[in-house]
Amino acid sequence: MKKTLALLLALTMVFALLVSPAAFADEPITLDVIICQYGPNTNDWFLGKGMNGTNFVEKFEAENPGIKLNLDVVSWNDVYTEVDTRIANNNAPDILNIDVFANYANEGLLLPVKDYCPDDLFADFFPQFIAQSVIDDTVWAVPDLASARALFYNVDMLKEVGVEVPTTWAELEDASQAIIDYYNGEVYPWGIDLTTDEGQAAFAYYTWGNGGGFVDADGNWAVNSPENVEGINFALGLIKKGYTNPNPATQTRYDLQDMFAAGKMAMVIAPNQLPTYVSDKGGNITMATAGIPANEGKTGSSVGVMDRVMAFKDDAAPDQAARNEAIGKFLKFFYDPENYVGWVSMEGFLPAVNSAVEALVASDPSFAAWLDVLGTCQFYPAAKAEWDQVKQGVIAAEQAALTGADIQTELDALQAALVG
Amino acid sequence: MRNPDLIGSNRRALGLVILGIVLSLILFSMPLYSFNACVYTKKSPNTFVGDEKYRTVRAEVEQVADDYRAQGFAAEIGEDVLERVNSKGETTSLITFTVNQSLSKSPLSMLGCGFPASYVLAAMLFLMGLALVCAILGSVGTMDLVHFHLDRRTASLRNLAAVALLLALLLVPVFILMNNVAFSRRIALYNAGLLEEGKDALFAKMDRLLFDGRMGADIGKALSGLTMEHSGLIWMLLPAILMSLLAAVQLRYGSIKSSALRACLYFFVVIVCVVTLYPYYVMTITAFRSNAETLDMYFLHLFPTKWIWSNLSDIIHRGVPRYLLNSLLVAGGATGLAMLCGIPAAYAMARMNFKGKKAFLGFVIMSQMFSPVVLLIGISQLMNTLHLNDSVLGLMLINAAFNQAFAIWLLRGTFVSISSEMEQAALIDGCGTFGALTKVLLPMAMPGIVTALIFVFINAWNEYTIATVLISTASNRPITVGITQFSSFNMIEWQYLFAASLVATLPVVVLFMSIEKHLTSGLTSGGVKG
Amino acid sequence: MNSPLNRHKWEPYLWLLPSIILIAVFVVFPIIIVFKLSFSEISKAGVIGGYIGFQNYRDAVHLPAFRTVMLNTFWWVISVVGISTILGFVVAMVFNQKFRGRKIARAILVFPWATSLVIQASVWNYIIKYEYGSLNSVLLNLGIIKQAINWRSSYQIEFIWECGVGIFVTVPFVAFCVLSGLQSIDDSYYEAATVDGAGFWDKLFKITLPMVRPSLTVSTVLNIIYVFNSFPIVFTMTKGAPANKTDTMITYLYMLSFYERKKGPATALSVIGFLILCACAGIYMMTVMRKEDEQ
Repeated sequence: MKKTLALLLALTMVFALLVSPAAFADEPITLDVIICQYGPNTNDWFLGKGMNGTNFVEKFEAENPGIKLNLDVVSWNDVYTEVDTRIANNNAPDILNIDVFANYANEGLLLPVKDYCPDDLFADFFPQFIAQSVIDDTVWAVPDLASARALFYNVDMLKEVGVEVPTTWAELEDASQAIIDYYNGEVYPWGIDLTTDEGQAAFAYYTWGNGGGFVDADGNWAVNSPENVEGINFALGLIKKGYTNPNPATQTRYDLQDMFAAGKMAMVIAPNQLPTYVSDKGGNITMATAGIPANEGKTGSSVGVMDRVMAFKDDAAPDQAARNEAIGKFLKFFYDPENYVGWVSMEGFLPAVNSAVEALVASDPSFAAWLDVLGTCQFYPAAKAEWDQVKQGVIAAEQAALTGADIQTELDALQAALVG
Repeated sequence: MRNPDLIGSNRRALGLVILGIVLSLILFSMPLYSFNACVYTKKSPNTFVGDEKYRTVRAEVEQVADDYRAQGFAAEIGEDVLERVNSKGETTSLITFTVNQSLSKSPLSMLGCGFPASYVLAAMLFLMGLALVCAILGSVGTMDLVHFHLDRRTASLRNLAAVALLLALLLVPVFILMNNVAFSRRIALYNAGLLEEGKDALFAKMDRLLFDGRMGADIGKALSGLTMEHSGLIWMLLPAILMSLLAAVQLRYGSIKSSALRACLYFFVVIVCVVTLYPYYVMTITAFRSNAETLDMYFLHLFPTKWIWSNLSDIIHRGVPRYLLNSLLVAGGATGLAMLCGIPAAYAMARMNFKGKKAFLGFVIMSQMFSPVVLLIGISQLMNTLHLNDSVLGLMLINAAFNQAFAIWLLRGTFVSISSEMEQAALIDGCGTFGALTKVLLPMAMPGIVTALIFVFINAWNEYTIATVLISTASNRPITVGITQFSSFNMIEWQYLFAASLVATLPVVVLFMSIEKHLTSGLTSGGVKG
Repeated sequence: MNSPLNRHKWEPYLWLLPSIILIAVFVVFPIIIVFKLSFSEISKAGVIGGYIGFQNYRDAVHLPAFRTVMLNTFWWVISVVGISTILGFVVAMVFNQKFRGRKIARAILVFPWATSLVIQASVWNYIIKYEYGSLNSVLLNLGIIKQAINWRSSYQIEFIWECGVGIFVTVPFVAFCVLSGLQSIDDSYYEAATVDGAGFWDKLFKITLPMVRPSLTVSTVLNIIYVFNSFPIVFTMTKGAPANKTDTMITYLYMLSFYERKKGPATALSVIGFLILCACAGIYMMTVMRKEDEQ
């Protein structure tokens, strides 16, 4: 049977080679690109007709003869599976747009940015963003866009209830109680998302607001610090007192945003795209933003979330220099304000390059305020190798605490697993 | 000679009809809807009893109450004070003023309202009257009957009476449902605090609020003051309902006991069907809702207020036809291949003796054990080696392979159940084995083959996990993967998700329904005897 | 059976060949790869390293959620397969009666079977949403409840919902298997029993059950495999949250592999699952084959 199997494999391979457009002659360089689907129009913009009747790939290939793009837009649900399987098969994409990068960098899969990124483009990135993608003094990825999280509140609701926008945790509890009283519990004062998708964000909101965080001052993991435990316990307290949405372990940020849009939730921490989201969903509420509340005597910090573009090594490529140059051309084209501005504003995110700021602020004045917020943001320690583990670890700890476990014990265990 | 049983049964039936109708009428004329409608609410935060703000607000509320009284409503003012001490040690206070209006209505009073419920009520009353008349006529006709059986005209009269009663009963939930909506609307009108603008303006505004599909806190607020005991009505109506039901049964079948079991059977079947269809109802109506209405947080609409047919064209623009085509290719190809490989194997298993038959069966069953999720890395590595990654062809092959076991199992059973005499005759006539298979066995085994075919097709059509990983190019995605784009990073677009789901489900369901008749026979021959 | 079809010794194998090749290449080969991987070191990003013996298995068994997940899997398989077998049997018994609209009712029963699990799970996920779910909407509008009910207030309840959806999609398959069994029972058995004065329960236990046992066995075994391997329901509805309390083995190893990036233990876990299923199938095969031998 083994012989038959081998024979069949051989036959199928020959067949497949004939079918697939495999490279025999010397062809232009083909770049495999994976882009994450940020919204309903991403696909159309890159591959359809969303870019003024043409699309990114067509336009790029027209301007850069000799480079072909094999570009896929992949949903966030599938992108990790997809990338990991491709890496396991030695079939990594050339260019990848995703949020994490540390594992890929640590395992030697990535090209350093300086190998392919043109200097003038590199200088264009916000330096505080670039700093988030450095491991061992090497930049491994460039930011593609960012969003900043802040407190959004329903202006009419807070006015009607007669409370001020809370800045401290105590005020938050007072305001929540007042809202509960006023609406007989029909409006959730506060939104919390501890889901498997984004529970790490909640961890950031409540620990950074209490002077804690994922890492200590020296940048070492410190997930079980007393500040963190106090912060998470405060969040759990909000849930227990009934100030929040009832099922935080399964209600995602979108559920919260939907409730906010429908006037069922008074305050929620959300990214800067929330107004667009609300109007897309047909909500007609008046909203405003404020800083994320912090504990008494501590300063809250906005939470920044950044996604990245990175290039993978491909030792099999015949001409490394030409490949690097092609990747550089891709980035150049992508970040060209003519293309980039349209994309960022379509997706409703904040830009990562200086050259885009002017045009964006001109199109929407609210961008200016958000860019200021972005300047003071804290980011996840995504450059640390254990970040995946920490991210899932804190989510598991929060969810376990939600079902009655002791948060201190959970975080101690996580810390022990990280350090030990 | 009279038949005493028949006469007794007639009297009982007539009595029950009259009793049921009288009971219903009495209940319908009782004030069963009682409202404590909070027609106006004013909440005043940071207000303390007696201070200036309190006096202003109180005056405002008095004014509203006076307005209501001027219109002839009995309005009362309620006041509720809630004091708390906040984290800074300050006392906060929330005073809630309400203008309450108690009113009660009888269901019969709905007759003149001009709401849709009025017409339902009228129809109900008409049907009851009809039932009564038919029952009397039917009973009178049989009084002097000599023979045991009813004559035809009497029987049809009694049947008509039974049907009319049952229809009237069916209308009860409809009526209650409509009342709920009608009264909610009414109360909402008072509650919006807009009485002075005139009735027409109110209706217009509320229609806009309730039915143009926009969500908003104002609707919820307007409805929150409503308390209505409609569930009480259902319970109070129960005796009347039961009475009429018994009457209907008595009229139709003469005896209650024999039909009770029948009623249970139908009840069970209806429950099963309703539960089964419920998700499809949800899928269908949500597919045609507006984005805002999919998130109807006040639970106002059982059906879309406006059927948004453009959802369908929107998903067409977002690649759904292409995905459908891919699914068709994958499922069709996989089915063809699975049959091509499966039929000979099943044939050999059914008709031939050879060493390793059991081993092969074990081999086949083992191939069913692993979940595609588990095998993801293995499969994608294999596909990579074969250069079939990200291709419809690869997906086709995988699906064919994963459905081999089921196909062989079904087909083998089918073949075993067919006697081999005909083939032997064909063999003796000089047909080869191949000829015997194609000319004799296959036509006879058609039901089983169709079943297996559809099974494989549906499994391949619905496969999701492997396709997620294997396919990365958008234009190669099958529909199950294609629909995930509607729950993307930025939002879940329920209406598109379900519109696409509907389109993906419909062909398969139709296909499956079309072979439902063969399904049991195919499974019989395939599974049971195998 | 010694038929004239067996003209050459090798002929049966020729008939089996296409099927064997298909299964060998596309099912067995990946299985071998997974076995090999379970003894290899796999990095977080998925790069495959060298042989490390049973380390992956040790890691897998010592995962904190291992016990919870195994217990969940046990309850998931037992409850879904058990309850849907009972329900499916009852439904089949009723749908085997003659009544008006039987054709339509049976056609409706087919629906859940023909619908993709991803779609089913998304629909149910939408139905039981607290804030805007359809179940609350329907019940409120019918006046059955006065206030929206939080249908997923704790993880135990969420898990019950997941099992419920699992049962919902499994019942039709069982029902149709039993129906096919019921149809092969000759009416004369019942008539004879009625003459002998047998009641409903006597007939059920003495005639119906023994006669449909083969179909029940087949559907149960297939269901154990399908339900054990079922992925979309749990993944769509809860993703195992909170803290793997609603995970089954399949979803857990997916989370382990792609969210927590412990790919080694994940592959080991999948082999463990495979072995469990093999044991189940082995028992089934032995009983089936013994019966065939008896015949």
